[in-house]
Amino acid sequence: MDFKTKNEAGTLIVSVGGRLDTVTAPEYEKQIRALIDGGNSRFVVDFARLDYISSAGLRGLLVMAKLLNAKDGKVCFANVNGNVRSVFEMSGFNDLFKIENSVSEALATLA
Amino acid sequence: MIKVGHLSKSFAGTTVLADISTEIKKGEVIAIIGPSGTGKSTFLRCLNLLEQPSGGTIEIDGMDILDKKADIAKIRQKMNMVFQSFNLFSHLSVLDNLTLAPIRLKGMSTQDAQAKALELLRLVGLAEKADSYPDELSGGQKQRVAIARCLAMEPEIILFDEPTSALDPTMISEVLSVIRRLAKDGMTMAIVTHEMDFAKDVSNRVLYMDEGLIYEEGSPAQIFDNPQKEKTKAFINRIRSYHCRIGSPDYDLYAMNAEIEAFCEKQVLPKKTRDNLLLLVEELLQIYTPYLPAMAFEMTIAYSEKSGHLTLMCESAGGPFNPLDSGGLPDDFGLMIIKKLTESITYQFVDGKNRLELLMQKGPKNSPHLE
Repeated sequence: MDFKTKNEAGTLIVSVGGRLDTVTAPEYEKQIRALIDGGNSRFVVDFARLDYISSAGLRGLLVMAKLLNAKDGKVCFANVNGNVRSVFEMSGFNDLFKIENSVSEALATLA
Repeated sequence: MIKVGHLSKSFAGTTVLADISTEIKKGEVIAIIGPSGTGKSTFLRCLNLLEQPSGGTIEIDGMDILDKKADIAKIRQKMNMVFQSFNLFSHLSVLDNLTLAPIRLKGMSTQDAQAKALELLRLVGLAEKADSYPDELSGGQKQRVAIARCLAMEPEIILFDEPTSALDPTMISEVLSVIRRLAKDGMTMAIVTHEMDFAKDVSNRVLYMDEGLIYEEGSPAQIFDNPQKEKTKAFINRIRSYHCRIGSPDYDLYAMNAEIEAFCEKQVLPKKTRDNLLLLVEELLQIYTPYLPAMAFEMTIAYSEKSGHLTLMCESAGGPFNPLDSGGLPDDFGLMIIKKLTESITYQFVDGKNRLELLMQKGPKNSPHLE
């Protein structure tokens, strides 16, 4: 997994690439916790570069949402396509989160 | 007609036939199937005494043919054999190949032997080749001549040792149709073959040989449609499998993924199937992980070339325990993914082992294939 961030007008865009699975989900959680503890409360997670996600990855996203809820934060997902979208649909995860087709649409949703 | 008891055969300390007992009755057509190297041909060659058995008994019509006083030439007249490599005399014409043994061994007149030979050549569709030499014939024609030559000795049983395995695919059907016709006429036959469709429809009993034994036997319907034993199932369904043991929560997921990907590549499985399989494996591993290492488990991925089904089996020892029903899961995500990826999930506690079997979704319609 690789993890990149970019701040756009107070919203942090997290671009995650590669695999979000049993092995990499703890690292994802760790980085997200650090960002939230650092005062960030509005996130767009961009899945455009993510090839694979398992339920371990979904749990990492759920932890992120719970941490943000506790701080009145917000998160929106973007570019949930291919394999990742299939897993979201299989697990019912797509009903739990705001999902937009692109980062710009996600930013607009959070605005 | 033929009764075999505890037949065994070893070559230089290697046991090829461990313990074979069976009976072949008049009019039966026995198909002998099984993986290569499991003693099928050796079994036939022992019946015909082309190989001397290491132990056991063979009786033909109540006569012990392993008795030193047994007349082997006479036994072979009763029980003739067709080989995969035809074994015709290349310096003799087709007609002479057929008349040689009846004249020399049965004392038949040349005229009678030739008349009989022509009749048999007509039966196998090769009367016009009577004056040809074996080298002028195709493989299929040679084998049909070999069958006619075998019939010329008026055997009571014919042993076929992979009669089509040396033939081009285009020539197999002409030979099989001759054998089918013999079966229809009531000839007693034992046929070692790799032609499964042929074995299924020509025989009235099937012997599946493995480990030097008759591992399972039954009617063609029993063996081909409902085999009971593991190795028979694997052979009939042409099952290829990948196996691993997970004994620690620190298993190497990526190494395992690489092995499963290599397995999928070998079976030429589509990328979507491979991706779904890798996801299913990871989800199962997550469910088992809290119970490791106390409850190590064996995982087998089995792919049936015949049906195209992929099955994932997890076996663990200990008391009855289905990890999917354990209630110890942190949430339902993994279980939901598993259910969407599978057609059926069965749990059994058999012989002191917990066995979880998951049949993967196959068809694109119902399958939430990853893209």
